[in-house]
Amino acid sequence: MRRRLIVLGAGLAGAALAVPATASAHGLVGKQDLPIPEWLFAWGAAVVLVASFVALAALWTSPRLQELRERPVWRVPRILDVLCGLIGVAAFVFIVYAGLAGSQTALENIVPTFVYVPFWVAIPFISFWAGDVFRAFNPWRAVARFAAWAAGRMGGASALPAPLEYPRRLGRWPAMVGILFFAWVELVLPPGQRDDPSTLAIMGLAYAAVQLVGMSLYGIDPWLRNADPFGVYFGMFARLAPLHWKDGRLFVRRPLSGVVQLETRPGTVALVTTMIGTTSFDGFSQGKVWTSIAPHLQQWFIDLGFTAQTSVDIAFTIGLLAMVAIISAFYRVGVIGMASVGEGHDAAELSRRFAHTLVPIALAYLVAHYFSLVGYQGQAMFYLVSDPLGHGTDYLGTAGVAIDYGWVSATGIWYVQVAALVIGHVCGLVLAHDRALSLYRDPRAATRSQYWMLVVMVGFTSLGLWILSAASQ
Amino acid sequence: MSVPFAHIGHWWTSILYLAPVVVVIVWLGFQSWRAKRHDRDGS
Repeated sequence: MRRRLIVLGAGLAGAALAVPATASAHGLVGKQDLPIPEWLFAWGAAVVLVASFVALAALWTSPRLQELRERPVWRVPRILDVLCGLIGVAAFVFIVYAGLAGSQTALENIVPTFVYVPFWVAIPFISFWAGDVFRAFNPWRAVARFAAWAAGRMGGASALPAPLEYPRRLGRWPAMVGILFFAWVELVLPPGQRDDPSTLAIMGLAYAAVQLVGMSLYGIDPWLRNADPFGVYFGMFARLAPLHWKDGRLFVRRPLSGVVQLETRPGTVALVTTMIGTTSFDGFSQGKVWTSIAPHLQQWFIDLGFTAQTSVDIAFTIGLLAMVAIISAFYRVGVIGMASVGEGHDAAELSRRFAHTLVPIALAYLVAHYFSLVGYQGQAMFYLVSDPLGHGTDYLGTAGVAIDYGWVSATGIWYVQVAALVIGHVCGLVLAHDRALSLYRDPRAATRSQYWMLVVMVGFTSLGLWILSAASQ
Repeated sequence: MSVPFAHIGHWWTSILYLAPVVVVIVWLGFQSWRAKRHDRDGS
């Protein structure tokens, strides 16, 4: 099998090198010094995945990640939890105030940059190695816990009625809907609306209201575990981390082993595929394929009588939903393929059992698509914190700091993107292989079932690299 | 009708991103076929 793999790899490389690299000349100027054409990276990534698959089949012969092993390393002082909650509440109040009282020019006000860079993108970047840090700073959790504590102090144990039982069939669907809506705001709404500081502040208040009502009805933890979109979203990435904050203690565990314990409640698969699909659409909507399709879609809606702006919004909404549907369908095809291997596992069961394998892929897509955003636009926070409202203040003396676009080149960004996608998909393969070994009685059937996951992983990798390369042209 | 071909240089590389998926599917399909044949001959 290994000999065949070497022959296959040599064949792929030989065929690739035989094709001229004309189209790469259309890439960004900074990426012209790539030693090979961009598409060849997809071929190389596929070879890495196939080699990983073969190595797993040969060397990883029993499940190693299914049982969570973690050891406590630190007892977290109670005051730290309270302090983090206070910081979270203060930050939320300040952001809402800045959005309502500050300059309404997006580049001058801290709110749009804060929401779309440190909050939406940087927290996952931190969570995948430091654990669920957002939970500690979650302002809505802090307010709800304070309300519960204060009510208990004033009225005793009977001060608050018992929370309702969270509907099991609702699962993580509210989180999925919330993430899809946020992505819609970010990717579909026109720039004047999606980065309008007061609009974002009002949306933040509305979001807080929904969370507080939800927690008061169903209890703080059941709601946060299932229905707080950002809490669930950041928590997904935190499951990959080697650090686990739980019950006032910090635990250390093997990387990836936390996500294996992901409870596959209803809506989990939809949430993870939405995470991948929305990120994909962000890149896809900047590529040539979409910019050639979108005008026709818009014209079709204009012909139906919609205004030009509404037509653009509808076209982008369709594009966003279609991309999520494509990602979901691709995963579904892999799962149906796995079900054909036998041993009585149906597609619905396998879909749930392998949902966690998509989490590192979602992270890989996120890092690949937003590394440059964090690297460049993240620097804007240095001058925005000094003049958060855009009124010309300079509290920290950093209002004059400019963004340094030279610290990493376009070529460097491309290498980070490729590395993120390859590592993320290899992690997905490892998780899928380990789950298959625990699920199938016959190790050969387990390996055969993973042929399908290999195709899914290679497909997602190629799709990710294609979207990224197209977006940069 | 000729427009897509006039711009072939702009989109043909997109197909190359699909190639690894096709190659892997063909290779795995071949492996499955061989494994099934081996099982059938052995039984």
